[in-house]
Amino acid sequence: MAKAELKIVGSSPARMGGVERVVGKGVYGIDLMLKDQLHGGILRSQYAHAKILSIDTSEAKKIPGVHAVVTAADAPDVRYGRSYFDRYILARNKVRFMGDPVAAVAAESPAIVKQALKKIKVVYEPLPVALDPEDATKPDAPTLHEDMPLPKTIPDDAKLKNICGHTVVHVGDAEKAMAEADIVVDEIYETKMIHPQYLEPRIAAAQMEPNGRLTVWANAQAPFPVRQEVAKTLGIPLNNVRVISTGLGGGFGGKGSGITSGAAIEPICGLLAIKAKRPVMIVLDKAEETISTTIRAGARMYIKTGVKKDGTIVARTGKVFYDAGGYSGFGVQAGGRCTNMLGGWYLMPNCHIDGYTVYTNKQVCGPVRGPGGPQAAFAVESHMDSIAAKLGMDPAEFRLKNTPKPGDKIVGVPKLRDVSLGETIRIAKEKIGWGKVKLEKNQGIGIATGSWIESAGPGGGAIVKVNEDGSVTVHIGKIDMGTIPGFGIPMIVAEELGVPVSDVTVVNVDTDASPWDAGTVGSRGILVSGTASRLAAIDARNQIFKMAARQLEASPDDLEIVDKQIRVRGTPAKAVALATVATNAHNVIGEVIGRGYCDNLELMAQEKAHGSSQPFTTHACIVEVSPDTGNVKILKYVAVHDIGQPIHKAAAEGQIEGAAAMSIGQALCEQVVFDKDGRTMNPSFVDYLMPTINMMPRIETTLVAGYPGAGPYGAKGAGEIACVPPMACIANAIYNATGVRVNKLPLSPENVLRALKEAGKA
Amino acid sequence: MEYFEPKTVSEAVALLAKHGAETKVIAGGTDVMVDIKFKEEPGGLVNIKKIAGLSGIAENGAGLRIGALVTIREVESSALVREKLPVLWESCHQFASLQVRNTATIGGNICRASPSGETLAPLLVLDAKAKLAFADGEKTVPFMSFFQGPGKSSAGINGLLTENEIPYPAAGSKSVYLKHAVRGAMDIAMVGVAILLTPDAAKNNAQDVRIGLGAVAPTPVRASKTEALLRGKPLTAALLKEAGALAASEASPINDQRSSAENRRWIVEALTRRGLAQTWKAATGKEVA
Amino acid sequence: MSVIINTKINGQSVSASAEASTSLLEFLRDTLEMKGSKLCCNTGECGACTVIYNGKPINSCVTMAADANGAEIITIEGLADGDKLHPVQQAFIDTGAVQCGYCTPGYIMSVKALLDRTTKPTAEDIEEAVSGNICRCTGYNKIVDAIHIAADRIAGRA
Repeated sequence: MAKAELKIVGSSPARMGGVERVVGKGVYGIDLMLKDQLHGGILRSQYAHAKILSIDTSEAKKIPGVHAVVTAADAPDVRYGRSYFDRYILARNKVRFMGDPVAAVAAESPAIVKQALKKIKVVYEPLPVALDPEDATKPDAPTLHEDMPLPKTIPDDAKLKNICGHTVVHVGDAEKAMAEADIVVDEIYETKMIHPQYLEPRIAAAQMEPNGRLTVWANAQAPFPVRQEVAKTLGIPLNNVRVISTGLGGGFGGKGSGITSGAAIEPICGLLAIKAKRPVMIVLDKAEETISTTIRAGARMYIKTGVKKDGTIVARTGKVFYDAGGYSGFGVQAGGRCTNMLGGWYLMPNCHIDGYTVYTNKQVCGPVRGPGGPQAAFAVESHMDSIAAKLGMDPAEFRLKNTPKPGDKIVGVPKLRDVSLGETIRIAKEKIGWGKVKLEKNQGIGIATGSWIESAGPGGGAIVKVNEDGSVTVHIGKIDMGTIPGFGIPMIVAEELGVPVSDVTVVNVDTDASPWDAGTVGSRGILVSGTASRLAAIDARNQIFKMAARQLEASPDDLEIVDKQIRVRGTPAKAVALATVATNAHNVIGEVIGRGYCDNLELMAQEKAHGSSQPFTTHACIVEVSPDTGNVKILKYVAVHDIGQPIHKAAAEGQIEGAAAMSIGQALCEQVVFDKDGRTMNPSFVDYLMPTINMMPRIETTLVAGYPGAGPYGAKGAGEIACVPPMACIANAIYNATGVRVNKLPLSPENVLRALKEAGKA
Repeated sequence: MEYFEPKTVSEAVALLAKHGAETKVIAGGTDVMVDIKFKEEPGGLVNIKKIAGLSGIAENGAGLRIGALVTIREVESSALVREKLPVLWESCHQFASLQVRNTATIGGNICRASPSGETLAPLLVLDAKAKLAFADGEKTVPFMSFFQGPGKSSAGINGLLTENEIPYPAAGSKSVYLKHAVRGAMDIAMVGVAILLTPDAAKNNAQDVRIGLGAVAPTPVRASKTEALLRGKPLTAALLKEAGALAASEASPINDQRSSAENRRWIVEALTRRGLAQTWKAATGKEVA
Repeated sequence: MSVIINTKINGQSVSASAEASTSLLEFLRDTLEMKGSKLCCNTGECGACTVIYNGKPINSCVTMAADANGAEIITIEGLADGDKLHPVQQAFIDTGAVQCGYCTPGYIMSVKALLDRTTKPTAEDIEEAVSGNICRCTGYNKIVDAIHIAADRIAGRA
C-alpha cells in the first residue's frame, strides 16, 4: 500500500489501555490477587561461589502457616538455559552467584515467609570467587562449571577456562593490513554491569487447576518460553501448562525469562503451588531484583585500528571479554553481538576480533535492551574520535569518509540495500550546531553513530477475529509493556480492515489461545507481530470480501471497507455493513478468523537477494564539565534515527527517547557495585542511581524518511537502537571539553575527576 | 511489634525510659519505615507526631526556635529561615525529593545522626543547640558535641529531641551549602560542605569563618584548623588553595559504594575553595584576590 | 500490634485495621485492595507510590498507615469524575506520556499537587515537583509536555 493511502499508520492515536493506566486500574502482574493465595519467597545464596553441603528445611516446615518448603530435591533433575542447559531452578550442589536461588517457601503471609526463610539451614563450603571476565579465563582462575566444555572453536593449548561463548569476526588479513597502516590507535574500553530496573517488580503466580493443569500468571516478556521452561523443569507436558500474561510495568529485556536462564521464578512458583496444593504468588522486591535477576553485562574491549593518512580505515583487530555471570543466560548471544559490532558499521576491509563470553560469580546476562550493542558502541565510537584526533580530522568528517554506500558490506551484514548513516550524521550535525555553536569554557560537543541488527530470529503469528458487531479481537504472542499491543498493532489491523482503531482490542497473551511467539524482545515487535497482524487482517478482509461479494453481486477485487461498510469501489450506494457480514459468517465459515505469520526465512532470503536496510542513527550532544568535581551536565541532546515508516509516531519517538535516556543513565550514573566477595553493594534505589528528570536534557528526536525496512509499510524496529550511541556521544563531548578521554563507564563525577587528575587537568 | 502514640513529652520520655532499648522513635518515617521493611522490625514503635508543642518555627531573641517535628518542607517554605538562616534553608532545599521533604522532619534528620545528614553540617556552622528531654529532666546540647558516631547522638535510646535553638549569624555574614552528588535530586550527599563567613566591618578580612563537612567522617565535623587558618585574613587565591588542601586533610572519609575516600577528599578541597570564594564575594563584593 | 485507622480516602470515610508496621501503601493496596498506587522501590526513592496527604504529595511507602488517622488522602482512583478524566490524566494520554504506565499514577498525583498550587509552573517548579518521580520508559520528554498541556487546560489557556 503506497504511503499516500495510509489513513491511520503514521499518526498517533491514544494508547490502547491508556485510560486504565491513568485511572490506576490493576492491570499489572503485581496487582493480581488469587483467591486463597499463599505468599512465596526465595532463599538466595549467601556466597558468590560455594558448594552446597547440606540443606535442612525441617525447622522452617514446622512454623505454623508454612505450607511448603522446596529445594532442588523437590524438582526433577533437569537443567535449563538458552545456549547451554547449565542451570537448575533451585541450586543443586553448587551456587554460582549471590542471588542464586537455593530454596523457596509458601506461607500464609509475607511475615511468615520471612520467618521461614531464616530458619532454613544451608551449609556451604565457600570457594574462591571470580569477578573479572578477563581474569576468569586464566588458568589460575576458579572453575565455575566443571561439566561445561569450552566452545569447540577454542584450541586446547590456549589454556583458557570458564568460557561459554566464542565468536570470531574475520575479514581479509587484518595483521598484514595493520602493519601497512600509516597510523594505528590501540585502546581498551570497559563498561559495567547495569540492571534494567523496570519499575514494576517481577512476579509469578501459580495454581493447580481441578483438572490437574498448572496455570501460571507472569509479568514476563516471553510467555511461550516461560511455558516451555516451566514444563521442562517441572516435568509437565506442554498442553498441561497454561501461561497467562498480565500488563507489564516495564521490562527492557530484563523480564525476558525463559529466553535467558532468567530468574526462574515461574517454575519455582509452580513447584510451590504443586507442593502446597494452593495458589501461590511470589513478588520480588527491587533490592532482591538487583542481585538476582538478569542484567546488562559489563565488557572489556580491546580495540586497535589502522588508518591511512587520508582517514580511510584499513584494518581492525580486537578482543572482547563479555561477562556472562554465573550462568550462560543470554551471554553467548549478547557477547557474540558485541563482538560483531566491535567491527563497527563503517567500511572495514580487514578485521579480526575474538570475543569471549565468560562465566563469573555475578548476576546473569539477559537480553537487556540492545544486548551487546551499547557496550560495543561505547568502544567503537569513542575510538573513532581518538583516531580522528590523531589524524587531525573532524570526527564527523572521519565518519562520513568511511560510511558505506548501497551495495557495500559491513561486518555482520553481507550486503546493504540502502544506507541512511550519512544522512543521520549530516542532520545531527545541523541540529546540534556542529562547527557553528559557540561553546563556553568547560563545554564540549560530541557525536556518535550506531546501528542494530533486527531481522535474525524466530518469527511469530497473529490471529484476527472479527466479531458479530464488526469489532475486532487480535491475538499475538507479544505483551504490552508500553509496546506494540497498545500502539502499532491495533493501528495496523484498523488500517487493513477499515475500522476505527478504538474498535480493535489486542488481548493479553494466553498460551492456550495465542499464537506462539519468541517474546517481546529484540526490537522485533513491529517486524514480527506487525507483519503477522497485517497479514492476518488482510486474510480476514479477504474472507469478508468473499462473503460480501456474493451479497453485493460484485467481484471481491472490486470491494473496499470504509467506515465499517463493505462497498463496491466507485459505487458507494452498493454497500453492506461489516457487522452484517461478520454475523452472517456463522452460517458460512463459522467465524471470520484471519491468520498471519511473519515468515522469517522469507525475510532472510529477501535480505540475501536485495540487501538489508539497517536502522542507522546518529546522536550528538553538548556538555558542560565541572573541572573541580567532575560533574557532567548535558546541555543539549539530539537523536537522529532511521526507523523506516513509524507506525505510531509518538510511540516510536517515545521508544527512542526512552532508550536514549536509559543509556544516558548508563553513561552518567548507573552501575552495579560489588565488594571483593561478589556481594552487591548498591541493590536498592538509594544507591543504584537512575537518571532523574532534572539531569535529563530534552532529547530532540528527528526521524529520517526514505529508507524502508522489512517491517509492515516499511517499518523498522525502534525499541533498542537508541540505546546504542549515548555513552560514546557523551564521552566524546567530555573529550572535546577537556582533552581527556574517559575509557571506563560510568562517566560519573568520580571517574571523570580521576581521569582529569591523571591527565594533570585538575 | 508494639505501638505507642504518646500525647505529651513526659509520656514519651517515660516510654523511652522503659522501652528505649527495643523501640524506635518514628516521626515522618522516611528512614524508620525503610528499616522496618528491609532490616529487622523493632520491638516497638513510638510515634511522636501526636505530641503537641513540637512543631512551629518562632523567633526566640536573636535566633530561631525550630520544633523537632517541623518538616523539611516547612523549613524550606519559611521565609524567616530563608532570610535569617540561609545555609539551613539551602540544605533543606536540596534534601531528597519533594515527597520526602513533605514528611521528613528536622528532628528525624538530626537524630538519625547519619554522617551525610543534610541539615547537620549547617547546624554545626550555625552553632545551633539541641534541646533534649529525658525522663529525669531536660538538657541543652550544642550540636558540636551532639553527634557521636554514625547513628549515635546525645539523644541515645532514652532521649527525645524537642526543639532546636539556632542563633542568627552575625550581621553581614554570608553562607552557602554545597552538596556533591551524582544526580542533583534524591541523592544522599557524597560530600556536604557548609560555609559561613563573616567579614569585618571594613569588609577587608574574614573575621569569622566556619566550615562544616558532611559525609566525610563518622559524624559531621567542623574543619577547625582550616577555620583558624582563615580567620582575620583577606581571602586570596593562594590562601584558598591552602585552605582547600587543609580542609581535605581534616576529613576522614571512607570508601563505600558511593565514593572512594580519595575522591571525597578531592571534593572537600574543591567545594571548600568554591564555597569560600562564593561567600567572600557575597560578603565583601570582591572576587578572591 | 493492630491499629484501627479512621481516615478519609477520595472523600469517602474508611475504617479498617492493620498491623502497626503497615505502610500507607500496603494499607491502600493490600488492606483496601486499591491497586492504583504502585509498589516499586519501597524506600521513598521513585515516587511510584505518591498520594496526596492533607494536600501534600508524599511517598506512601515510607508513611505509616497509622498516620492516615484523621487525614484526608487523595489517590489516583479519586481523580476522574465518573467517565470524565481529570485534565492531568487526559494530558498524559494525549501526549503519549503513558508507555508502560507504571510510573503514571505517581506522576499524576505529583503533577496534580503542583497544578493545584499554580497553573503557571516554571521549569524550576516542574523540576521540584517531579524530581522525586522516576520514569524508566519515556525519557521524560512527553511527561514534561503533558504537564504544560494540563496546566494550560486547567488555566483555560487551551
